[in-house]
Amino acid sequence: MAYRIGVDVGGSFTDFAVFNEADASITTLKVFSRPDAPGQEIVAGLRALADRHGIDPREVAYFTHGTTVGVNTVIQRNGHDIALFTTRNFEDVLQVARLKIPQIHNLYSRRPDPLIPRNRVFGIDERTEATGTVLKSPDPEDVAQAVAAARAAGCAGIVLAFLHSYRNPANERAVRDMIADIAPDLPVFSSAQTWPIIREYERTITAVISGYVQPRVATYLDRFEEVLRAQGVACPLHITKTNGGVMGIEQARAECVQMILSGTASGVIGAGYLAQAYGYPRVLSLDIGGTSADVAVILDGQAQYGVGEVIGDFQIHVPSVSVSSVGQGGGSVAWIDPLGILKVGPDSAGSTPGPACYGRGGTRPTITDAMAASNLIGHTPLGYGAVTVDHTAARNALAPLASRLGISVEDVASDIIAISVSSMYAEVSGLTSRFGIDPREFHLFAFGGAGAMLACFLARELNMQGVVVPPTPGVVSALGGLIADLKNDFIRTLYLDVTPAGLATLPDAVAALQTTARDWLRSQQFSGEGQIRLSADMRYAGQSYEIETPLDPADLSVQAIGAAFHAEHTRLYGHADAHAPMQLVNLRLVIAGATPKPAIREIPVATAHARPVATVAAWFDGVAHQVPVYARADLRAGHHLHAPAIIGQDDTTTVVPPGFAIAVERFGNLVITPEA
Amino acid sequence: MAIDQRNLSVLANFCGAAADAMAFTLMRTAHSAFVKETEDFSCTIVTKDGLAFANPRQFGAPWYSGIDYGPLLRMFDYAEGDICITNDPYEGHVATHTPDIHIWKPVFWQGQLACFVVGHIHNTDVGGAVPASLSRSLSEIEQEGIRIPPVKLVEGGVMNAFVARVLRTNVRMPDQNWGDLTAQIASVNIGERKIHEIIRRFGYDDFMDGVEQILDYAEAQARAILARVPDGDYFFADYADEDSVGGKPCRIALTLKVRGDEVVLDYTGSDPQLGSSLNMPTGGVERHPLVMVGLTYVLFTLDNSLLLNAGTLRPARAILPEGTVVNCQKPAAVGMRSLTCAMTQIVTVGAFVQALPDLMPAASPGGNAIMNVKTAARNGKPIMASIGPVGGGGGGTPFGDGSDGAGGATGFLRNTPIEITEAEVPIRFLRYGLEPDTGAPGKYRGGLSAVMEFHITQPETVVTARNRNRSVMPGWGVAGAQPGKVSQFIRNPGQGAQHLRNTDLVACQPDDVIRVIGPGAGGWGHPFDRDPEQVLQDVRQGYVSAASALADYGVVLAGNAIDTTATAARRATRTIPPGPYSFGAERMAFEAVWTPDRYALLTAFLASVPVGWRFFLKHRVFDAVAAAPETADLPAIFAGLRARYAL
Repeated sequence: MAYRIGVDVGGSFTDFAVFNEADASITTLKVFSRPDAPGQEIVAGLRALADRHGIDPREVAYFTHGTTVGVNTVIQRNGHDIALFTTRNFEDVLQVARLKIPQIHNLYSRRPDPLIPRNRVFGIDERTEATGTVLKSPDPEDVAQAVAAARAAGCAGIVLAFLHSYRNPANERAVRDMIADIAPDLPVFSSAQTWPIIREYERTITAVISGYVQPRVATYLDRFEEVLRAQGVACPLHITKTNGGVMGIEQARAECVQMILSGTASGVIGAGYLAQAYGYPRVLSLDIGGTSADVAVILDGQAQYGVGEVIGDFQIHVPSVSVSSVGQGGGSVAWIDPLGILKVGPDSAGSTPGPACYGRGGTRPTITDAMAASNLIGHTPLGYGAVTVDHTAARNALAPLASRLGISVEDVASDIIAISVSSMYAEVSGLTSRFGIDPREFHLFAFGGAGAMLACFLARELNMQGVVVPPTPGVVSALGGLIADLKNDFIRTLYLDVTPAGLATLPDAVAALQTTARDWLRSQQFSGEGQIRLSADMRYAGQSYEIETPLDPADLSVQAIGAAFHAEHTRLYGHADAHAPMQLVNLRLVIAGATPKPAIREIPVATAHARPVATVAAWFDGVAHQVPVYARADLRAGHHLHAPAIIGQDDTTTVVPPGFAIAVERFGNLVITPEA
Repeated sequence: MAIDQRNLSVLANFCGAAADAMAFTLMRTAHSAFVKETEDFSCTIVTKDGLAFANPRQFGAPWYSGIDYGPLLRMFDYAEGDICITNDPYEGHVATHTPDIHIWKPVFWQGQLACFVVGHIHNTDVGGAVPASLSRSLSEIEQEGIRIPPVKLVEGGVMNAFVARVLRTNVRMPDQNWGDLTAQIASVNIGERKIHEIIRRFGYDDFMDGVEQILDYAEAQARAILARVPDGDYFFADYADEDSVGGKPCRIALTLKVRGDEVVLDYTGSDPQLGSSLNMPTGGVERHPLVMVGLTYVLFTLDNSLLLNAGTLRPARAILPEGTVVNCQKPAAVGMRSLTCAMTQIVTVGAFVQALPDLMPAASPGGNAIMNVKTAARNGKPIMASIGPVGGGGGGTPFGDGSDGAGGATGFLRNTPIEITEAEVPIRFLRYGLEPDTGAPGKYRGGLSAVMEFHITQPETVVTARNRNRSVMPGWGVAGAQPGKVSQFIRNPGQGAQHLRNTDLVACQPDDVIRVIGPGAGGWGHPFDRDPEQVLQDVRQGYVSAASALADYGVVLAGNAIDTTATAARRATRTIPPGPYSFGAERMAFEAVWTPDRYALLTAFLASVPVGWRFFLKHRVFDAVAAAPETADLPAIFAGLRARYAL
């Protein structure tokens, strides 16, 4: 017997998903996170799994983990002091960035301070041309001086980012080797190795973030590994990745940018897997926590990818699961501006002190308080005795707003919910326009602590097909890490003309990339062949941007590649120019090694009508209703419920306003659709 | 659902989302680098009368948030499925130079007109005398490319093929224009769909009423901000170095009249319209966006929660005398109105400095050069590329240093990566970054200027630097700070350096080296009041030289530390410059000759002669005064000119 375990450590809770290989079943568990003593939540979880489910840590054959330690290091700016070596006369790359200031109408606005101040940036006398030709090789004496200066400035590592290293990394390699000779203790982060893309700022900041968080991430992972070994877990350990895959812990320790969005990405992967298994081809995932709401597009079970995901004040430019974050969560604060207009956010009470109704010291009125004041939450025990809902405290917190507006507490509560949801609407609307999709064709897949609380309100504004709430919304992220494939991205900048002569070198480049990719998969102890997806960033000569075009490795002829590009151009822009010369700028390859997937089980079929555990007076849109409250555990496949309704379970409350119909389908999902 | 203070935020969020959706669609489908890299476009939703009420929250050019499409909209009767187009700066006063192609589409609901969805893209080229259609050397609008008069491009859903063909026939890169226009159409179509969703949710009557409330809300916010500004008349003027190629200074004058919660921007005293392309085609429209940019920045800086739409500008009104550089008449060229617009922003901030000395920053210096290279590849293929803006930083503020490299009013452009340019244009960069000692010393210094230096490798290469300014008169400092440094544009720095000053076009050959340093931004507060630790930090970062630390900041450094005693001694005596501004020697010398009194006489004289004569006569008067700067008698000069030309 062997078990596979996925663990997601969040701000308040740590979720475990355990996959039993013998019967492909899934067991879930939730424990408190221990920010004060990282690692102890893992110990507690493993003990509980042993006690309650008889799972012996020695029988664990596979372990994945998602963590926010990397992203938090950037947000809190508590990474280590590191140095940056650039091409001489281009040392201001971090200060200048892409020039634009954050608030273009604000005369005070400044770009955020860089993670590496200018006095820890050192120019190296070296130069490579855009063609990859080396004009000047680095001089050991020059490099030694820079290393000595970096040491004198107290730097614990060095990032290398030279012009055109994406095309030819020779000079970065040479300097890395020189540093290895004279300062073997200093870790070196080469931009060409981190992610070799054209655009010096984007490549540099990606490598800088990777280096900046590395010491902290490595320490965290060391401790994590120690804790697991002490508990008897002997299997290889995996970390979930920014690209939605997983990788071995060794790679995570060295290439931190690959794991920096580990937590958010695995939620989307989990949602995608479930949506596909449940039969929903077009889904927006909605994960709401205390301070933010994360939304992602999922098509046929696949997350969408992009570059430029936001990490604190910066962006990273590795392929990432594309997630849009709205500054609206359960803790967002409602207030009235000097002109008497009601507003919600961007201030948040977060998880500490939290909403007033949680009784942990919060007094300002939040979205959660608006839900409580409307009597829509707090009727069934939430998980693990973590929180109880004090309805009076919620009403008290809202009362000053109500009296200033001259309306009832219930009315102001419904206004707060509407404003918050309209902010989410604005963000999701932007996301759908960016991807060119129509939300009316999509289901909203709600998970996380507060996703199901607000999902119906948002789906109503977006005229969506409906809302899907999976049986255990709290562990979707842990599950996502558990079922994610081993996955790595590769890129080579080639700048080839799409002509027979221009493409002469392409087959060799493709073969080399395939070899590198397969070597990677083997290094992850994957035994199979893996799946390879090949594509190229292409354009018509003279265009200033590229389109990613899928390529068939078996046919790399001018005709095949040209046809693929024309087709992609037509798909995106509605036209193509069959006679225009084309360029192939980058070659891209993604390799994936599939991991086993759990079976999706059906739940028992209903034999009688569902019975509410209570009926409460609650307010929707300022109107009082008698609302039945159901316990999720009582629901069976085939149950149909009328809205309004409240459905409580350990890890969330699903709130359904009037105008919807609720069906419990065979896998136990709540499927909530607008009434015709 | 009726809209009131409880749910106004909901409607405003929905409308903002609709504008965002238009911008995202544009960026996803447009073709040109101007959209993808520079974000020089707008997507706006305007009332049925033309007033902007929703803009994208993060994207696009920041100048047009309060635009009024009314004059254009009123030219047609509309039916469902119509889309109109124009780029003519002299019709409707919405387009402000020919590369900006505007389109607008009516949105109907059950047969009733609800609003319009509108927007523009700065097209890389619209034909005319020069590639990219813009140069200050052009003197009439006809040289600035094709002009499409307001016309229905799509009527009842059917494209007017003739309009499309005329456009394509008259430009240098028709596929790019066409790709961008297609994206604009996709953008307004998405906007229309989003508005339909909003009306379906709120109902037509409540939507129409709510939109007015959104405008009213922005107006009330703006009035609340203005009410905190002391009443008074605040006069300020500044000068662009040259009003034409090798020309005279160009004066922009503003009297800011604050009364309660309203403000008048009186531009009387600004120069006559010019024989170059620096003119602003405002048509005298009293809330024309081009003359309101500075005010918008000031109001938003004072309150970051300010909603930006046409309501924001309701408490303001501009006076724009006809036949002047702020309200030119046909056929004046207008392509480089951005240089002049930057000057209007600068004088607006300058006037507010008198009203709110503790809150206003030094202005960013303007003269943000847009660098282009036109050359040929080894295979002879022509190449034309924008290689990025090179300007000064943001002005020092009462609370901190100005933003480095770009900031304040000119911080909205993105640069072009060095690696992208080198991959596509046969030039090699020698340097790109920040130039030390270019941020004017102050308690809070100006942001450092950008510097760019590159090596030409191909014969017959033409480098253009649009918007060049501040080679002669620097940007000003505030509250005892120093003024900025002048900008530099040099061919072959070092021995035999050629200073190109405000030239915007230079022919180069292989081995030439071009260096551009943006104009320095002014500082805020006396440099002796700067925390010596901050000065030391600046020296360590390489932003300020040790020499400047000593001479400008009075900070004596001993090795890597501050000599506290010597610093205190050095800082004990200071000369405090009079008035809130420090202008620098060049401007002081100019204004010693061209006093406010002389300018008043000149303005009155030029206003009394026909528009076509003004630019010519201004130059004759300047020449006459230059001949005898101290004794020149303006009325006598005017009389002589009147007699000579029978005026």
